[in-house]
Amino acid sequence: MTKLVRDLMHPGVLTCRKNATLGQVAVLLTQNHIHALIVADRDNRFLGIISDYDLMAGEWLSVNSESLATMRSLTAADLMSYPIDTIEAGKTLIEAAHTMIEKDINRLLVVDHDAPAGVISISDFISSIAREEKARRDTVADVMSDAILVCRDKTPLISAARTMTQAGWRSVLVVDSKGQPQGVVSGKDLMPFVENGVNEKLTVREVMHPVLTINIHASLREAADQMIHNHYHRLVVVDEDNPKTFPLGIISSFDIVAEMARPGSIWQA
Amino acid sequence: MAGSSIGMGEQDSVERDKFENELKHILKVSDESGILLRVIGALAFQMHCPKYGYLQHALGRAYTDIDFAAYARQTKEIQKLMNALGYQENHEVFIVSEGDRAIYEKPEAGLHVDVFYEKLDFCHVIHWEGRLEVDTPSIPLAELLLEKMQIVQINEKDVIDTIMLLLEHPLGDHDRETINIQRVAELCSSDWGLWRTTTMNLEKVRVLAQGYAQLTAEQKTEVDSQVKAALARLDQEPKTLAWRLRARVGDRVKWYKEVDEV
Repeated sequence: MTKLVRDLMHPGVLTCRKNATLGQVAVLLTQNHIHALIVADRDNRFLGIISDYDLMAGEWLSVNSESLATMRSLTAADLMSYPIDTIEAGKTLIEAAHTMIEKDINRLLVVDHDAPAGVISISDFISSIAREEKARRDTVADVMSDAILVCRDKTPLISAARTMTQAGWRSVLVVDSKGQPQGVVSGKDLMPFVENGVNEKLTVREVMHPVLTINIHASLREAADQMIHNHYHRLVVVDEDNPKTFPLGIISSFDIVAEMARPGSIWQA
Repeated sequence: MAGSSIGMGEQDSVERDKFENELKHILKVSDESGILLRVIGALAFQMHCPKYGYLQHALGRAYTDIDFAAYARQTKEIQKLMNALGYQENHEVFIVSEGDRAIYEKPEAGLHVDVFYEKLDFCHVIHWEGRLEVDTPSIPLAELLLEKMQIVQINEKDVIDTIMLLLEHPLGDHDRETINIQRVAELCSSDWGLWRTTTMNLEKVRVLAQGYAQLTAEQKTEVDSQVKAALARLDQEPKTLAWRLRARVGDRVKWYKEVDEV
């Protein structure tokens, strides 16, 4: 059955007042874990949309105290995009995607019989794609994370820890100046520092553990086997046909468990 | 008109010939030495506008120096050439500008030569890379236009040079005896500040041209038409996301660099 915009949208619309400062908008975005807000007037009429990208103008243009003061005085209404691009809730996802691609925009206000009903964004499409990953689950390629959190070997440990926290990742791949993997720093590697804190001069090179690799075409069972036998929680996924190239991803024990928990997986039948 | 009066005033033909002949001599020697020097400034407009060049003299536009654009990879060759031609370099300017600019003097002849390496970096930056091979003996007409249009505090000499350029050459999408307005539009579409200053100055040129008694009615109409066409072309060019975001902030944050005369 064809999926409609109303099936994927985030119901409800989060708004801010037109005179909200950029700092206030930033707080609202962060608190609600969203990338944009609808800007509304006192009568809740929608005027425009302001995104995290728009807010970046604050940092971008604050080159001195004078421009910082100017940017701090700007309001949501000053930086919002308008008019707001809308789509009917009953339109198909394909139509929504085409509109966003054609207009080069990241989100649409969803209206149902002219009344605001929600927002559909690129993030919704991404999560949709993630949910619709193919049912086949017998290789590393099917469940690994293609995106990798990476840092250089001279990165301060405290900086790596902060980035892991901000990104919500439990490990970071350590590479040298040529991008070759040198090791992995995981949450477990950081545990010894919980009690006494981290020396600011300590680098990831001094606490990382060696990399274990696995071929992208290996089966999940092989991955699980390697993890269990080596007591590792994650493996760096490589293309064994091109061993010198940058890793293709990381597969963790969590990825395998998540695959097991996925509705429709063989473990949930 | 706001701005400096440098470059304005009576100048007899002997004095004008002195600059023009010296320029030709430098170009000849540099060409023979395989050095890429391209003229910018008043003399470039004069050389590239044989039909309307007379307006400089008619409107009181005077030469004050000889300006060149060059690539930094030929810095040493240019230093050697200028020394051989009897010029003394002001080393302080070269050091302070971190190699972006060199000034050469021949005091006894009252000659002053300015070399801008890689870019013109005043209110906005205009890069030379890949453009100095396009035209000769000056930089391309698009960059000649931008050389003047990037000056926030534009003054009368700049307006006169621009009027000459607009009367002499059509707008188009190439560089052969044509102001490559497509190139100007592309540069302005990725840099809101350059767009802001350029459009502001084009409009100033259009308005001020109407006030010169030395220009005929047809010439005033032609300047008006050329500026409107240029503005329309700049308006049509698709803008980058950064441009659109910067445009929303507008004049509230300064969009250009302050310039000190050297």
